[in-house]
Amino acid sequence: MIAQFYQAHSDILLFAGAAAVKVLVLLNVIMGFTALLTLAERKVSALMQDRIGPNRASVFGFAFDGLFHPVADGIKMLVKEDFVPAKAEKLLFTLAPFFALVPVLALFAFIPFGDYVMVFGYQLDLQIAQMPLSLFFVLAFSGLAIYGVFLGGWASKNNFALLGAMRGVAQMVSYEVVLGLTLVGLMMIFGTAGLQDMVRAQGRLLFGFLPGWGVFYQPVAFVLFLTAAIAENKRTPFDLVEGESEIIGYFMEYSSMRFGAFMFAEFIEIILVSMLATTLFFGGWQVPWLYDTGFIFPWGSTLPLNHYLVAALQTGAFAAKTVFFSWFLLVVRWTLPRFRFDQLMALCWKVLLPLALLNILVTGAVLTALK
Amino acid sequence: MISVKKVDNKPLGPLERIYLLEVARGLAVTMRHFFANFFNRKGMPTIQFPEQPSPLPGNANLRTRHRLKIRADGSPKCVACFMCQTACPAYCIHIEAAEYPENPAEKYPAVFDIDLSRCVVCGMCVEACPEDAIAMDTRELPGGVEARSELLLVKSALLRNLPGEPSLKGAANRLANEYLKAGGEK
Repeated sequence: MIAQFYQAHSDILLFAGAAAVKVLVLLNVIMGFTALLTLAERKVSALMQDRIGPNRASVFGFAFDGLFHPVADGIKMLVKEDFVPAKAEKLLFTLAPFFALVPVLALFAFIPFGDYVMVFGYQLDLQIAQMPLSLFFVLAFSGLAIYGVFLGGWASKNNFALLGAMRGVAQMVSYEVVLGLTLVGLMMIFGTAGLQDMVRAQGRLLFGFLPGWGVFYQPVAFVLFLTAAIAENKRTPFDLVEGESEIIGYFMEYSSMRFGAFMFAEFIEIILVSMLATTLFFGGWQVPWLYDTGFIFPWGSTLPLNHYLVAALQTGAFAAKTVFFSWFLLVVRWTLPRFRFDQLMALCWKVLLPLALLNILVTGAVLTALK
Repeated sequence: MISVKKVDNKPLGPLERIYLLEVARGLAVTMRHFFANFFNRKGMPTIQFPEQPSPLPGNANLRTRHRLKIRADGSPKCVACFMCQTACPAYCIHIEAAEYPENPAEKYPAVFDIDLSRCVVCGMCVEACPEDAIAMDTRELPGGVEARSELLLVKSALLRNLPGEPSLKGAANRLANEYLKAGGEK
């Protein structure tokens, strides 16, 4: 009977199984990378400031230059007192960390981390949710993350937390607009809103030798996107949401792992922004001049490669680009001083938004002229 | 007299107002530091302190862990006069005096405790000691213990001579030794 059931529904069962495997693998990779990123943040900042950084947490005397610090941090977060203020809205207070964490995790479903692999004759697309309009879903889900901030600030029933939440919502809503508009130019050029289709389109060569990555078509949009994405991520120089010396932040009343969830969401967002920047502007999993059958160099020589090797190279390239952008975002965070809140809003509405609109206009004009 | 310093801030030029170029310059500075330190970890000025001792500068050597000097005959140089306990601004010294049965002219500390968790490392006890019995020149920096009780220095932990001691020079030392040699006459 089971065999019959499998016979009847083999395609959907295979699809479900493959999706479950992809979700499990990707989620674990992301979580592990996030934990390492919390260490990397401290290490990178230390190296930039001529310090060594954390290197003391050890297991049986082996410290591995601080590799156990994420574990120690996690244990510390889990065993701390889980405090809920007496006047807080208990339900929303509990829900807010989930609202912060779940949308950013869900967003990884739309990111293509490779082209496809053939497993026993089954074509496994290396993207969890193959949707033709995934870019809009990305924007929609990143908009959901605002709820985490606002519910957290409001449910705490603390004026400072509410103030921090108001700042956060104002900032995220404003930069959401710029974030969406910067990507319109890319959609016009590639003629699609599917992330996988966009990456495939970036495999074409520009002038016969340059990889056709989004950044070469839309350099202005890339700068705007990166700025808006950092602001969306609520990190320095746009970390007005938290201010130790003034309002502390929307997570002021949160302790233990509830606070940890907010912090974790922020670090996951770094990875997400890196992956989006890679996917949209740096060719995603594309390796320059690498095609399905191997390398075809612009000077004529070729290097045929096995299908699995090609897939591994492409996924590796995506991972490497993501790691690079994560590192870059850390360096930016530890280099620039923060804005004042009015400067933040002025930058968004008076500088980034007009530039984004101008970018769309110029892109449209050029595309029409070239047609 | 109030001195006023006039700060001459230059207005931002057009390139600086665009901000992006300045961001790139700032990133260049931090990335230079990052890569210099990333490829040359040994070049950083950090000292891994307890494992990697660093020489203390100058007179800081005379503000380290306390010790009580020992005479040539093995008795403590301290005569339990309570001068250090009186001088101590942090009330961290506790002394209980006792007499030598064979030599009632001189006392010795039966108990000599220094509570390092209260000590302010001011060196007043060393200044106050008329017998030159207490010193803070061990070059050990106390602290970093797992229990408060480990910060309590008792007499046995304090009694210690540095290499080259006990010195047979010095009036107090000589007189005491003569006393003991004479079998504690009155």
